[in-house]
This record gives sequence, structure tokens and C-alpha cells, in this order.
Amino acid sequence: MSENNHHDHDHTQIERNNTHWLTLEHYNNDPEFMKKAETEFQSSPLREGESENENESGWARREFLKLMGASLAMSAAGCIRRPIQKIVPYNKQPEEVTLGEANYYTSSYFDGNEGIGVLVKTREGRPIKIEGNPKFPLNRGGVSVRAQASILSLYDPERLQGPKYNIFNEKRSNKDTVGIKWDALDDKVVAQLKKGSAVVLTGNIASPSTRAVVSDFAQAFKADHVSWEPMANEEIREGQKACYGEAVVPQYHFDKAKIIVSIDADFLGTWLSPTTFTAQFGAGRRDPKKTSKLVSFDSTYSLTGANADIRFKIKPSQQLDVVMGLINALVVNKGISSYANNEKFKDSLISYANTAQKLGIEPALFAKVATDLWENKGQSLVVAGGLQTLTSRAHELQIAVNFLNSLLENEGKTVDGKNGNPGLKASYSGLERLIKDMSAGKVKTLIIHRVNPAYSTPKEAGFIEALKKVDMIVYTGDRIDETGDHATYMAPDNHPLETWGDAEFAKDVFAIQQPAIRPMYDTRSFELSLMTWAYLANVGPKRLITFETYYDYLRNFWKEEIQPKVAKSKVFENFWSEVLQNGYVGDFDKTSSPRSFKSEAFSFIKPASSSTGFELALYPTIQNGDGSSANNSWQQELPDPVTKIVWDNYVCVSIATAEKHHLKESTLVELKAGDKKVELPVHIQPGLHDEVLAVAVGYGRTKAGKVANGVGQNMYEFAGFNGGPVFAGQAVSLTKTSKKYNLACVAGNNSMEGRLIVAETTLKDYMKNEHAGVRRHKTWSIWSGHQYNGHKWGMSVDLNTCTGCSACMTACQSENNITVVGKTYVLQGREMHWMRVDRYYVGNPADALAVFQPVMCQHCDNAPCETVCPVLATVHSDEGLNEMVYNRCVGTRYCSNNCPYKVRRFNWFNYAKLIEKPMHMALNPDVTVRTRGVMEKCTFCVHKIKEAKNQAKLQDRKLKDGDVKTACQTACPTQAIIFGDLNDPESQVAKIFKDEPRSYALLEEWNAAPSVRYLSKVRNNDKETIDAEKGGH
Amino acid sequence: MAKHGLGGIAGIWLDEHAVVKAAAKTRESGFVKFDAISPYPVHGMEEACGIRRSWIPYVTFVAGAAGLLSALWLTWWTSAVNWPINVGGKPFFSLPAFIPIIFELTILFAALCSVGALFYAAKIPRVDPPNIDPDLTSHKFAIFIPQNDIGYDEAKIERLFKDMGATEVKKLAEY
Amino acid sequence: MIHRNKLVLGDKDLKDITEDICAPIEAYPSKGWLGLLTGALSIFIFYVIILGIVIDKGMGLLGVNHPNAWGTMIVTFVFWIGIGHAGTLISAILFLFRQKWRTSVARTAEAMTVFAVMTAGLFPLLHTGRPWLDYWLFPYPNQRGPLWVNFRSPLLWDVFAVSTYATVSMVFWYIGLVPDFATIKDRAKNKIRRAVYGALSLGWRGTAKNWSHYEMLYLLLAGLSTPLVLSVHTIVSFDFAVAGLPGWHTTIFPPYFVAGAVFSGFAMVVTLMSLVRIGIPEFKNYITLDHMEVMNKIIMTTGLMVGYAYGSEFFIAWYSGNPYEKYVFFVSRAFGPYAWAYWTMITCNVLIPQVFWFKKARRSIPIMFVVSIFVNIGMWFERFVITITSLSRDFLPANWGNYPWTFYDGAILFGSFGMFLTFFLLYLRFFPAISIAEIKPVLPVGRESKGVH
Repeated sequence: MSENNHHDHDHTQIERNNTHWLTLEHYNNDPEFMKKAETEFQSSPLREGESENENESGWARREFLKLMGASLAMSAAGCIRRPIQKIVPYNKQPEEVTLGEANYYTSSYFDGNEGIGVLVKTREGRPIKIEGNPKFPLNRGGVSVRAQASILSLYDPERLQGPKYNIFNEKRSNKDTVGIKWDALDDKVVAQLKKGSAVVLTGNIASPSTRAVVSDFAQAFKADHVSWEPMANEEIREGQKACYGEAVVPQYHFDKAKIIVSIDADFLGTWLSPTTFTAQFGAGRRDPKKTSKLVSFDSTYSLTGANADIRFKIKPSQQLDVVMGLINALVVNKGISSYANNEKFKDSLISYANTAQKLGIEPALFAKVATDLWENKGQSLVVAGGLQTLTSRAHELQIAVNFLNSLLENEGKTVDGKNGNPGLKASYSGLERLIKDMSAGKVKTLIIHRVNPAYSTPKEAGFIEALKKVDMIVYTGDRIDETGDHATYMAPDNHPLETWGDAEFAKDVFAIQQPAIRPMYDTRSFELSLMTWAYLANVGPKRLITFETYYDYLRNFWKEEIQPKVAKSKVFENFWSEVLQNGYVGDFDKTSSPRSFKSEAFSFIKPASSSTGFELALYPTIQNGDGSSANNSWQQELPDPVTKIVWDNYVCVSIATAEKHHLKESTLVELKAGDKKVELPVHIQPGLHDEVLAVAVGYGRTKAGKVANGVGQNMYEFAGFNGGPVFAGQAVSLTKTSKKYNLACVAGNNSMEGRLIVAETTLKDYMKNEHAGVRRHKTWSIWSGHQYNGHKWGMSVDLNTCTGCSACMTACQSENNITVVGKTYVLQGREMHWMRVDRYYVGNPADALAVFQPVMCQHCDNAPCETVCPVLATVHSDEGLNEMVYNRCVGTRYCSNNCPYKVRRFNWFNYAKLIEKPMHMALNPDVTVRTRGVMEKCTFCVHKIKEAKNQAKLQDRKLKDGDVKTACQTACPTQAIIFGDLNDPESQVAKIFKDEPRSYALLEEWNAAPSVRYLSKVRNNDKETIDAEKGGH
Repeated sequence: MAKHGLGGIAGIWLDEHAVVKAAAKTRESGFVKFDAISPYPVHGMEEACGIRRSWIPYVTFVAGAAGLLSALWLTWWTSAVNWPINVGGKPFFSLPAFIPIIFELTILFAALCSVGALFYAAKIPRVDPPNIDPDLTSHKFAIFIPQNDIGYDEAKIERLFKDMGATEVKKLAEY
Repeated sequence: MIHRNKLVLGDKDLKDITEDICAPIEAYPSKGWLGLLTGALSIFIFYVIILGIVIDKGMGLLGVNHPNAWGTMIVTFVFWIGIGHAGTLISAILFLFRQKWRTSVARTAEAMTVFAVMTAGLFPLLHTGRPWLDYWLFPYPNQRGPLWVNFRSPLLWDVFAVSTYATVSMVFWYIGLVPDFATIKDRAKNKIRRAVYGALSLGWRGTAKNWSHYEMLYLLLAGLSTPLVLSVHTIVSFDFAVAGLPGWHTTIFPPYFVAGAVFSGFAMVVTLMSLVRIGIPEFKNYITLDHMEVMNKIIMTTGLMVGYAYGSEFFIAWYSGNPYEKYVFFVSRAFGPYAWAYWTMITCNVLIPQVFWFKKARRSIPIMFVVSIFVNIGMWFERFVITITSLSRDFLPANWGNYPWTFYDGAILFGSFGMFLTFFLLYLRFFPAISIAEIKPVLPVGRESKGVH
């Protein structure tokens, strides 16, 4: 332990004056050494270019030292990591870091709404991939697109490399930016803080200890803490408050629900914690016989709607009608519950009596939804929320939903008030107050952390104008972005992968966040900044100014606040190391106790109103979320799961609307609401309500960086803001322009053209015949074929649990160093994803349903690609893998032509050359970076197979099922993808190949004999046979 | 350059049919080593000169056969013996797929060897061959009797040629 | 015995023939020729530059993409290879059939073959991702061992077929030229000319013995070339037929491709011959309207064959009941995004040649010239339609995608003509464009006076 204390000791020195010591003379501040050190310690791969004009050192040694410092940082047992800040020569190699072997560290990821437990995969001290933590009680190993992509933002070349000072001109707009030393910055800030009336503006804070730091800080300087997120969940909290008296965002249990009704709550895509919900949803559907039923009332074509068994298209203003209609159907028509004989109550429902007609839904169908809900009471779940529900009547909607859940006795069962995420405190009302105060000049100092209000607030809110009235703005963002441009000082925070932290994503479920690399640049954690300022001003609670690093503060906080809650008895050190190893501690409070509904809340709900004309529906996307992490090429080039469009946002219009206004795909139109105008390309979206114009937020960044700048339009500005934000239901007008635009869509065709590609059946049919929907073919060969003794790898994909969330695509991209080609080349059909998720529409285009199908290399036994390669660059391994030999490939591309699945990708140019430093640090050293002119494709993660085999050999045992997990498999939140050895009769995948009636080979009649099986999709929609493929549009 | 100091007599004709007759006559008169030279293959000249059918076809056949066998061996040895590897689930020795290769090599061998045979038979390439008359490659025909032929007698031959309607008779020091 | 038209007009004697044919080679090059050569040469140079850029930057400069991994280069490759076939057909097959009229066009047709194959041969080599590694396509013993090529791949068959074809047709052509080189040598006034053509003529003397071997060899080569030429386009068609794509995977391809090749080849011969007749008026006596008419008949016949193939493809697609096939033909080709290309092809290849039903059209140089141009266009589009419609709309609709034609596609197609024409013009200037030794024996044909049996 002495060693550790020792570290903590250096640590103080280190983080305070923010240099790290290399040798003793340095530690003893030998002056001229310090001179050298100044530059030395901002060493970063980015500086490689500059380094030659420096007399000493030079690049190679720097890289070496940095990697070393990082790898040493991992020294300790298991998954424990200590904040060692020393750089030590390699002859003292830390026992745990073996060159060529990956280390995994538990950590956690929070994007402002969703929190998940993750494992950070590091190689030689470089974080190279983020995977889900299988033990974590929420996401259960699943991981989201953005969580995985966040590895790229760590290496974003455009990150700030140190504190900065913005010089303003008289108009308070940024004239010039200059570097500044931390201590200089600290002095200035402290001096300013002493003047009082400071405000800390942050997003949701999931970290209990950060919350503590902030409140301590607020106490210290009598500052306010305002919490706001563009995707705040205020409506839910307020609704809960009105109905149950406590302002919480409850925890939902989709796995316990037999029937789920979602009113524009995109819980599989972007609402609250989609990864967790997707995992739960998948669990509820794994066995088709016991499958849940998802009914979606969708105003945009959300991923949730795309996965619905029954999908109704609505417009935002009808959300409330739906819920009230259901209540009416239950209480009035069915006479359910005590309210049934409460006339006054019934009167309040009259205006909602014939919702079905109003929505243009077949009344019988609508009534059936109500019936299903009632028949499954206590096992059903009604959800509404998210930007898509932020209409002027959002509050009423929440109350209605809560009432319905209480009525159905879901409260305390599928809706669980006790285990919500206590961090979700962000509110627009808070922001509104702040803006008032700022404009009134009541705010002298504003510290902004982890939010970018200058970008993501509605224009009407007038944030930027107000901002100009603040004397000093300190911004902790990692770049001079839209907000940073107005900040006096940039005090860049560490990247989450560089800094300690913790989280509480569900009440009393505490997660840890371990740094996986030493801070790459001269940055400082937000918490330490606050602590430093308090320390220098010498104000505030003891713990705030005693501890010299945030790490110490954190440990102490866990010791005093958290351990007592979850594990009193244990010795702290053991408790601590356990936490680090598991990544979390604590569990849900399983006791169910329904909260009673305050019936007076219901009186908030006004009678039904109705509107006509276009309504604007703004929605966040899976790939870009709220747009805060938009400067990330993996996100931008990930096709939207539903529209399959990349690198843009656009107006989704219904087919009828398009015809009415003579709009073609990607003609430019102008949207107008009041004095707000925006020009956007059109995307013709099947299954969209004719009066809805849906546009994604999170685009139109102007100062995010090379990748995101100028991609799409910023729709936050377009949102309404009168007494709360209006993201949905705003009346807008649409005018066609003559201009043409190009939307890059990777989906070649929306319809399966009547081919059996995604086998689909209805639950009713499936119950009769488990093979329903699958067409079998008799294939034969003129010779016996090759024998596979030993392993024979195979994969199965369950289309019934696959939601199309596309996490697998990003996982594959991250694992296999797949390059991004940019919009221009995607337009030319040059995208490189080894694994794609095909989306087809089924049923009549006007209200089309969607199906998803992940397609990767099928590793066919009779691989057509191999036969035609003249140079044997792609051949079959004796384990049934279709191997691609990059350095033998001359690039005839014949293999791609002959591949019926078209899963092969060609390096048209030398993409690898374009990887900008330090992005190259995110590359997986186990996977070759492909050169120009060679073909590439899915390898079934052959390097992972090798790794697992070596492991088994070292442990002198046979390889067992589950030892090898492909990247896509580990990422999948619903475990729809299973990989394993077909020659091992006990393996899951072998069983599926052999016995699963739903399994089928894609294009079986083609007899390529693929090693991938798909499991047919079962739609729980009470129909006898699925709507025949009428060929989308 | 390769001139063997051997002279003889050449008669020149302007008419195709005349020269054929002359050749026949020359042969009847017992000459065996004489040769007829023409700008293009004259019909019936072989018979007239008693030239045996060319032996090149045998070369062609043998070469073709060799080509076929070597191609068969190449495909079999490389893909089934030296480096047997599973390609598209097909047998190591996928004979049907190899037939095009075998066929092409057969033709290639046959054609090239035949040409080689011609070079051998016609003793070409030859630098600066003797030239009795430059028009022999244009519109004149010639019969040449070397002096070492049986019964070589200049006067007699000259008369013979004249009788056969030779437009001109040349005595050549060397051939 | 049926009455034959004269093969050579204007009562020429042997001397005249030699004079006429050697004239263009011995005279000072005409302005027209120089003009044409400069034009062709500059296009050729442009072509070389474009290819250089593509090799330097990568295939991505062309429209080739996912799913259309093959594009202009392969299309144009098949086009030129097809052109080549007419030459060998005329010189070899018609020779075996003892078609005496062939003699006056054979030489030039063969030259066309050689140059077309050279032009074509470049494409498969350059369209690879890493052209500098193309030699890997040959099975040579190496140290990476054991490492060989895949003899199962149609592309490898191509390598063998095309290189064999190139070699044999060049040899065949050259053997034909040897006696004529001798003629030119003997007529040569100045030393250099004599030396050069002397070397080219390999010291040919034309003794009876030599002629007998020579004729035998010529016969053999003709015999070998005939199956060879058929095999080449058959194998080229295998590139498609052996692959599994709808619209490619059909047994009709070999005959269909060969017919198409002959079709396009003869069209090209007619195009060139019409030009030669204009450029060297004296040749009108050797390349007579009768010759042109016969070739036009062949064009019409093969045109009908090709038309039949188009039809039967549709029939089989429907008759097989294979949904993918059906889609490619009845939706993609006939009405899809490339319908325009498809109907261009039909018009040029099936409809327009029908004018040759009329003797007037068959014997009118302007008409046959225009038609032959159309046929060339149509045949390029045939290959384009086959390649792109199948690739762009295959099995899984999610992959579908069109071919984004770029400047480089156009430049490469255009430039390849520059290469071909440059070689062809040089040939007209330096080689006897009609076989002197072969035309003389057929001189008597159709002449009552000296009529040979």
C-alpha cells in the first residue's frame, strides 16, 4: 500500500501544477529541465509533425514514453487500475501488461440520458474498443452505437490540447484564442468567483460524487447549479410528481411486459436508456411462444415503430388522444375499475370517445389494443416520452399515461418508481430561469460543463444574447465549439476514458468509471477544476479542499457515502477492488409497492382538441443522439437504422404528401414556422402520417470540427420555446424549391421484391406450424464435398430479437479497423461496412412495416467468391472459414461480383493513408489495415478465434462453446447473434442449425451452403397470415 | 552469307503455265536438284517438280499432344498434389474446370512448333539470300539447275529452257 | 459452273498488282494519312495519360463500385476482343472453306484482329486493384511456395485464352506477310528499306519446296486458329456464364458471344474497308463492292443470330420460373434504369442491320458505313447491358445500386480507339494492306479469257 500512498502523494504535485515528473531532477524542479519539460509534457501524437523543429527528443521517444506511461498505468491485479502518473522505463515492465495481449477494464458510459456499464479494451496501453459489461445489471453486455464510437472522440485530432483564453472584441464575439497556463487560468477564475453570483450549468450528472463536488462547490461560492440537457426528461418527472408526488424518472421493465404500448416513446432507439430497454425487450421475445406484443403509435418512423408488431401512424397532436382513447375504451366502454361509475370522470372523457375514427384507425383494432392491455394487466406497459412527445400538451400526456399504467396495475410492476436514474434532473425550466437571470445581469460567472447550449437551445430561448451579459464564462468542453466560442476561458475536461469517475444509473446501483489511458493532452477533470478553485479561494466544505485529486475525493466519497449503503461489513480496500473488478455494486430494489395515483392530477387534462395541416416532429437519431458527439465519423457514416441514409438530416414526408407536392427523393424544400426558416432535402418515408414532417435534431453543427461541420441543419433552433420546449406538433409550412440535393442512402431498394429474404410469419401461424414462413429447398451436389474435422464455425442471427439498432455495425467497424469513406463515396456506393443491417418494408407502402436483417459474410462451404479468384486470394480454411488473403489479392473484384450476398468491400483508394493521427491509436493491432486495391470482408473475427484457441492451449483444455465471441455478437443488446462450433454438438449454434425450426439459410436455393442461419421473424399481430409482400415502394 | 560456291543456270518465264510445263520437262530430262522459284505458290508446281507432301503436320500433331499432356500435368500437379486447397468446396482436381486451360495450351504448342518447323524446313531466317532476279517476287518465274546436278550441261539446258519459252537464261556463278 | 464476278477488277496483270499494292508503302505519305495519324496519336497519348492517372490513384476514379465491381474496362475489353474475331474468321475459317474472295480483305482484317486484341488485352490487366502485381496471374514457380494460381477461375482461363489467341493470330498474320516483305525488299531502292524489309522477310525466296511447306503451315495455322477463335470468345463469355448472377448464368452465352463477336468484327471490317477504299482509291479494284456485299450479308445473318439470342434469353428467363432471372430481364433490362441502354442495343443490333435485306443498301458504301457504325455502338452497349444490369440488380435488393459513370469511364473508352487507330494507320503505311502473294493466284477468277478450269 505504501507504494500507493506514495503515488497519491506525487499525484498531488502532478495534477496541481499539471506536469508529470519524468526523473528525479524533474521532481525536484531542476529549472532548466523544467524548461524542456514544458513542451515535453504536452507530447502527443498530434505534435509529431511539429517535433522536428525541436532540438531534442523527437517523435519516436515521445510515442514510446506516452504509451509506456499509459501501459504502466494499468499495473495492478485483475481489473484494478491505479492512477500512476510516472513514466517508467520498460525494463520495469508491469507484470500485467503483456505486449500483444488485450487488457479489459471495467468502466461506464453516460451520454446524458443513457448510462451503461462497459469494458474498455486496451492494447499496449491504448484503449481500442468499448464493449458492454456482461455483468452490468442494466445493459447486460449490450452496448450502444455511440458508446462504442466514443473511443474515436478520445483520439479526435481536433480536441483542445490545453486551457485556452478567448479574446473578445467589443461585440463580445470571439476575436482570437490564445493558450494559457492552468495556474494563470485558475487565478483569474478564482478572482472572478470571489465576486459571487456564479452559476454552474451542467447536463444530467449521473455521478454521485460529481454531484457532491458540484454541490460542495455551489455551497463554497454560494453558486447556483442549473442542470439542463437538450433531451431533458422534465415532462416525465413533472408527470410523476403530479401523479405520485415524487419527481423521478422511473425505471421500466420491458422484459416483464406481455404487451407494450408506446406512444412516440422510442425506447428501442433513443428514449432514456435504449440499450437496456432493448436488452429487456429482447429477453421478452426470445421465445416466440411467450413473446411480448409491441403496439406502437408512431409520429416519426422510429426504430420502436419499426419493431412494432402493430404500428399505427399518428401525428404528434394525437398522442394524448391515443392514451385518453384507451382509457375511455377501458373505463367507459368496458366499465373497468371504480372510475367506471364516476360520472364526472366519465364526462371528462367524452371528447375522447371516438378516438379511433379521429385517428383513422379501425375501431376494432383500437379496441383490441385496450382489451389486450386489460387482459395482461400488471404485465403490460404504456410508455410515452422523449423529444417526440414534447408538444404543448406533454404534461397532460404524461399524466394520462401514468393514470393508464395505474389503472392497469402496472405501477410498481413494469413501471418502477424506486429504481429510476436519480441523475436525470435536467430541466428546460431551469434553463429558462438561468436565461432570465443572465439577461438581467444577475450572473457574473457561468461555468458550463458537458452541455452545448449555444448549439442546442431553441432560438426563441435567446440563450446566446443572454450569454453576452455574463462577465466570465468558463467552459469545460473539449473544443471551441458553438458554446466554447462565447466562453472567456476554456478549461478542457478529460475525456471519460482518461479520468476517474462513478455513476448511479439506477437508484443504489453504483458503477465505476476507470481511466484507461493517461490524459493525452494538458487537460484537467471538471471536478478537479472545481476543487482547485475552491482550494485556491480556500472556501467550501472540508472534503472539497482537503483532497488533492478528484481520485482521492472519489475514493473517500465511496468510503463514506456509498459503501455504507451497499456493503457495510467489508474492508474498504477489498470492497473497492471488487467494485473495480465488477465495474459496479448494488442491485435493484426488487420489492414491489405500487404508488397510489393522485386522482386530482387527472383534472389537468383538458378536453380533446384537433388540428389540421403539417405538424413538425423533431427526433434524435440513434447514430448521432443529441448531436453533442457529432464530430465522429463512425456515427456520421452509420446508416440510420430506418431510413438507411448517412451524413445528413432531412425532412421525412409521407408518400401521399410527396405526391401531393410533387416531391422527389432529396428535392430541397423550405420549412417555415413563424419567422423561422430552414431548407432541407426531402426523404419520402413509407408509413408516415400524411400531416407529419419529421426532421432529426443533432445535425447542423457549425463548430464541432471537420467531420460534423455543415452536415445537415440545426433543428434545435427550430424548436418552439414558450413555457417549456416544443419539439413536436409545431405547425409548419412546406414549400418546394427547384434545387436538387443528394442524400446518400445505402439501401438499394426498399422492397424484397417478393423474394424470400427475411422469413416472416405471424404468431398465430407459428403456433400452428413452427416452420411457418420459411420456404425449404432441395439442394444437391454432384460430389461428396470436403470434410471438416475439428472445428467448423457457424453463426445464427435471430431476426425476431434483432431490432436493427446497428450496434453490431459499429462494433465490427471498431474491431476490424474499417475505414470511413465520407458522403461523396457513399453516394457512389463505396461504403466499407463489413456487416450491414438490411432494412426492408413490408405491407402496403402507406403504412409499411419494417423488417431488419444483419448481413455479414456467410462463409459459404461452396463459396462462389473462391471459385472465381484467379490468384487464390480467397480460399476456404479447414475450419469452414472463407479466408481473404489481403497480400495475395490483385483486385480483380470478380469475387464481389459472384457473391450473391454482396458482402465484399473493395479498397478503391488508399483509405488507410487518410487515417489522421492520433486516430491511428484506435486501430486494432490484431487486424491488418488494408491497402489500396484489395478486397476485404467479414472474417468471423478470425483473430478472436485464434486468441481463444491460444488461451485454451495455454490452459491446456479444449475450446468450449462461448470461448469465441465475434465483435457483433458481444455488442448485440438482445443476443440475437450466436457464434460457435458446428462440429460441437453441444454448442448453441449447432443446436440451432440442427433443430431450430425457424432457422433458414439466406438464398438457400442458390446452394452456396452458407455457415450462417437466420431465424424467422414472428410478428405477434393476431393475424392469420402476414401481409403479403406488396413490394414496399 | 551462307553461300556455298555453287553455280548453275536459271531460266526466267513470265507465264505461270509455261513455267509449270518447263518444270515438268526439266524433271523428265532427268534433273533432280533443280528448283522452281515463283512470287506465289503456283498451282501444280509440286507435282511438276515431284516434291513430296510436307512433313510439318506430324510436328503439329506431336507438339499438340505434348501441349495437352503438359497442361494436364500442370493443372493436376499444382492444384491436387503440390498445393491442394479447398476452393469453393470443389474437388482438388476439378478436371472440367481445367479443360479450357488444357485446350489453349494444346493449340499454343501446336501452332508455335509448326512455325518452328517451317523455319527449319525453309532454312529461314536467312540473311541476304542469293537473288536470281528481283522480279521473281513480283511477276516472273524461274527454274534453276545447279551445276552439280546429274547430266549438267550448260548448252543443253539453255536450249531446253529456250525451247520451253524462257524469256531469258542466266548463268550464275554462285547459288 | 456458276458465273463468278471478277475478284480483281481493271484487267490487272501480275506486275500491276505488285505495283498497286506496294504504292502506298513506297510513295511519300499523303496529307490525309498524316492528318489522321496526328489525330489518332494525340488520342492515344491522352489515353496513356489517363491510364497513368488511374494506375496512380486507383480504380475508384472510374464508376466501378459496390455492387458494380466491373464496369467500363471489362465492357470495353469484351468489345475489342469481339472485334478481333472477324479477322481470324476471315483469314482462317473462310480459308478452310476455300472462299477465294477473302484474300483481298484477309490481310487488313487480320491486322485489325491483332490491334484489337492488343487494345483489349490491356483492360483486364489495368482494371485490377494492383496492376503492378498482375504477373501473379501466371503460374510461375516461386519462392512463396507452394503458391499457384486458381485454374478454376474463368479469369485465369481468360489469361490463357487471350494470350494464346494474341500469339497465334500474330504469328498467322506474320507468316502471311513474309513473302510480301520479300517482294518489297526486292523492289527496294534504298539500303535501309532493303535491310529492314529484308530482315522482316526472313530471307524468303519462294522456291517450290518452300512454298509447299509454307502452304501446309498456312493450312495448319488456319485449322488451329478456327477452334481457337471460337474458344476465345466462348471463354470470355464464361467470365459471365460461370458466375452465378441472374442474366449471366446461362448456357446460351458461348454461341451468343461468338455470334456477337463475328457480328461486331465484320461491322468493324466494313467500317475500316470503306475508309481504306476512300483513302487508297486504287484498292477499289481489289476490295470490290462484291466483297463488301458478302460481308454485309454476314453482318445481317449474325445480327439475326444475336437477335435470336436476345429473344431466347427472355424466353428462358420466363420458362425457368427463376424469380431473379425474370426480374433481371422483364424488369431491370426492359424497363429498369438501364432500359435506355437496352433499347439502344436492340435498335442498333437487331433493327438497323435489317436494311441489308435490300441489295441497294448492301452495295452502297455510305449506307453500309453508317450501319456498321451503329452496329459497333450497339455491340458496345450489349456488353454494357449484360455487365451492368445484372450486377446492379442481383439477389438481395438491399445491395442494389447504379453505376455512377465518371469522366474516366468516358476517357478510357474514347482513348482505346486512339490506340487502335494509331496502330492501324501505321500498318496501312508500312505493311502491304492486301496480300500480294495471295491475290495473284486468284487473279484469273471470273476472267473468261484466262479462265482456269
